[in-house]
Amino acid sequence: MQPNYIHIILADDDEDDRLFFTDVFEELKINTKVNTFNDGEDLMNYLNKVETIMPNVLFLDLNMPKKSGIECLTEIKGIHKMSEIAIAIYSTSASEEDIEQTFVLGANIYIKKPDSFEKLKKALSEVVSINWQYHTNNLNKDNFLLRL
Amino acid sequence: MKKNYFFKSTLFLKVVLLSSLFVILVMGGITYMHISNLTNSTKIVVKTYKVNVELERIISYLREAESDYRKYIVEKDVSYLNPYLDAKEKVNNSFLKLNELINENSKQHENLTVLNKLTDSLFFNFSKTNIFVENNETNTKALNLLYFKENAIIDSIRRKTNEMFFLENKLFNNRQEKYESDLQFTPLFFYLVLLITLIIIILAYSKITNDLKNIKVKNDQLLIFKESTNQSEIIGKHGNWVWHIESDIFTYSDNLYRLLGEEPQSFEATLVNFLKFVHPEDVDKLTEDLNKMTHVEELPFINYRIIQKNGSIKYLKAYAKSFYSLNGQKRLLGNTSDITEEIESIIALEERNLELERNNKELSAFNYAASHDLQEPLRKIQTFVSRLEEKEAATFSDAGHQYLERIKFAAGKMRILIDDLLQFSRTNKPDKEFVEADLNALFENAMQDATVIILEKKAKITSDTLPKAKVVAFQIQQLFLNLLVNSLKYSKEETFPIIKVNYSNVKAKETPHLLKAAEGNYHKITFTDNGIGFDQKYAEKIFDLFNRLHNKQDYSGSGIGLSICKKIVENHNGFIFSKGEINVGAVFTVYLPVI
Amino acid sequence: MNLFFKFDFHIVCKKVLEDKLNALNLDYELLGFGEIELKKKLTPKKYLALNASLNDYGIGIIESQKGILVQKIKDYIKDMVFNEKTNVNVKSSVYLSEKLGHSYSYLSSLFTEVTYSSIKNFIIIQKIEYAKQLILNTELNLTEIAFKLNYSSVAHLSTQFKNTTGITPTAFQRIIFKRREISQQKIN
Repeated sequence: MQPNYIHIILADDDEDDRLFFTDVFEELKINTKVNTFNDGEDLMNYLNKVETIMPNVLFLDLNMPKKSGIECLTEIKGIHKMSEIAIAIYSTSASEEDIEQTFVLGANIYIKKPDSFEKLKKALSEVVSINWQYHTNNLNKDNFLLRL
Repeated sequence: MKKNYFFKSTLFLKVVLLSSLFVILVMGGITYMHISNLTNSTKIVVKTYKVNVELERIISYLREAESDYRKYIVEKDVSYLNPYLDAKEKVNNSFLKLNELINENSKQHENLTVLNKLTDSLFFNFSKTNIFVENNETNTKALNLLYFKENAIIDSIRRKTNEMFFLENKLFNNRQEKYESDLQFTPLFFYLVLLITLIIIILAYSKITNDLKNIKVKNDQLLIFKESTNQSEIIGKHGNWVWHIESDIFTYSDNLYRLLGEEPQSFEATLVNFLKFVHPEDVDKLTEDLNKMTHVEELPFINYRIIQKNGSIKYLKAYAKSFYSLNGQKRLLGNTSDITEEIESIIALEERNLELERNNKELSAFNYAASHDLQEPLRKIQTFVSRLEEKEAATFSDAGHQYLERIKFAAGKMRILIDDLLQFSRTNKPDKEFVEADLNALFENAMQDATVIILEKKAKITSDTLPKAKVVAFQIQQLFLNLLVNSLKYSKEETFPIIKVNYSNVKAKETPHLLKAAEGNYHKITFTDNGIGFDQKYAEKIFDLFNRLHNKQDYSGSGIGLSICKKIVENHNGFIFSKGEINVGAVFTVYLPVI
Repeated sequence: MNLFFKFDFHIVCKKVLEDKLNALNLDYELLGFGEIELKKKLTPKKYLALNASLNDYGIGIIESQKGILVQKIKDYIKDMVFNEKTNVNVKSSVYLSEKLGHSYSYLSSLFTEVTYSSIKNFIIIQKIEYAKQLILNTELNLTEIAFKLNYSSVAHLSTQFKNTTGITPTAFQRIIFKRREISQQKIN
């Protein structure tokens, strides 16, 4: 049986951003389970555990100590059991080329952290719902690209 | 040319020398013949004289003999017979002499033979008479007859001698005449020979002095040339060398030694000695290149390093050209120059360039980091403000609401500023990839990015079909977006903005804007709007960073948008110009080179 | 070497269903999109076994009536988008209410309740999904794809593509092709 909630993980070294993130999902009327990690290394350690159930969506901040978002992304893309995770890059800003580069490396979603809580709420809800569509409608995840 | 002239000159000299030798020889021969002729004629004159004397003598001997004989007949004194006998001997002697003198002349010879017979018959007659005398029959008829006969013979002798005299005189006269004529031409001949010889000598002298003068001039020029070559070698830091390939002999110019840090001609010019100076790492390469030089006609530059005795390393560059001497020997004429200073300045320049690049990179990294890192706290301020507004606004006083609004506004301003700065620093980043892109698609994307403001202002935007071009796609899209946003932002309040985008392909030569540009074709894209425009005197200023023509209250903006446009266009080696008229509108013209 | 596939999800799902049902020796009849009629009632044990074996393929048995209806809406929309024969100029709302015998407003609110997104949104997602397939796996250009998907213009398609995915169709194509290049390099 599929679990009846969406499992979401966020790796971000910024405390405020983690707070906004969890606040959003508390306010959204979607059944979610949110885990957060302070850096890329913590995240990868968790994911690499045998007993870990893979999340549906993984949000990665790009600038993180110890292991950057890009490093996590490339690592995850090389591990078979993690291939089903939808990966969202969750970053302050980047140039068009950098964004395209993360997509090429295998990211599915790129979210520029918005400058208001309402926008953030809207963006995250869109990500989750579209991802849910992909998840529930057998859409080709290889072609799943979303930029907000 | 010169060689030919030289050739001609020597050949000419040879011809002149030979012909003058010939002329002198001929003249000499003629003179010799002439003088020997003269000597001959003198001899002949003497001979004629001798013949005459001898003939005279014969006559006189005969007369003496006759008279003595007569005396003998009359006085019968035998002593008178002695002269007679002597005369006979003397006459015979004279005959022998005459015979010798006139043996060449047949006529005289005949005459002489006749004369000889006549004298013989005379003496025969004498002897007959003698018999009569001895017998004392002196007054006999026979003796008279004999006497008569004797007279007749003497007469004929006299006639004969006269005849011979005459003939000899005639000969003599002839000879005298010839001798005289010869004598007359002799000085002329001498004079002629002298004259011709003189002329030849003068000619030769003038030729030689002329040549000497030329040679002196040439020598002088050569000397100057050599000195100036020496000077230029020293100043230009290069040296010459010649390699006689067949005999494997080198000659080095003085300065080549100096390039090696040695006194001129201080060691033997050989390849082995030279290679001693060459940097160990370059020896193999140089040897190989030199080998190539010996058989390849087109020789490239050779670069190598040397180490002078004092340990300093110099960079040398050599170039050689092969040529053949007149006798067909192959030679390499080489020029080696010291390019250490050039290399050092290039290295210094490269280092400075690198430093500049580093500085530039650092600066743009700083700019990027600064604007990037500033975003984060700002974003949080804005997000917290939004939270505050949403959750706590209800408990605020009116002043509190106002302050919140002010904070929001200020934060928004800062957001625009930071975004634009970030954008600007990104356009500054090097290593952009130029790809073939459809400008229509990029324009469409820019339109999509500006959708909100386009809809808000109800703008009407029209565009010509744009070409494909090799560009940094992101940047051109940004350029289009910035120009659109700029036109929309500075639109007139009461009218809907109309933006026209036009395209044409123009030649740099025919476009006043592009007189300073490189030749070739350019994509000309113009953005024309009906906005508030600007004073033409600010046409260039508006592209400056942080330059704003309008106050902050009326128009939002960071003053970076158009600077970014300019930066992007410059990144593409293009040009951007603006033209404004207050309350009529603005035209922005972008030229991108057709690659 | 990389191979690229195109799928017909209907056939794939039908085939998987048939295989699994046959494996459990069940007597059944296929009724249409995602619906079968079983001749005998299932034992709880067999139900769990079937559900487990289908889950491997991402297929789940829908338990609620609402869920069934939503699935039917989805199936009709997919059919409408992907099947060119039904892809006529009929308004989707009319088409759906006709096919399912419910008012569009009812279907719409039901759909949003269950899926957290609207029917309209779902149609767009499906269309864009189909456009993606066409962009990647066919030689069709954007104009042809826009025509095939009943868009009024290329600009309309591009705009919708951009609004839905956040990127332009050309950027999408570029990204996926670059990804394929990279994976090909890895293999080589």
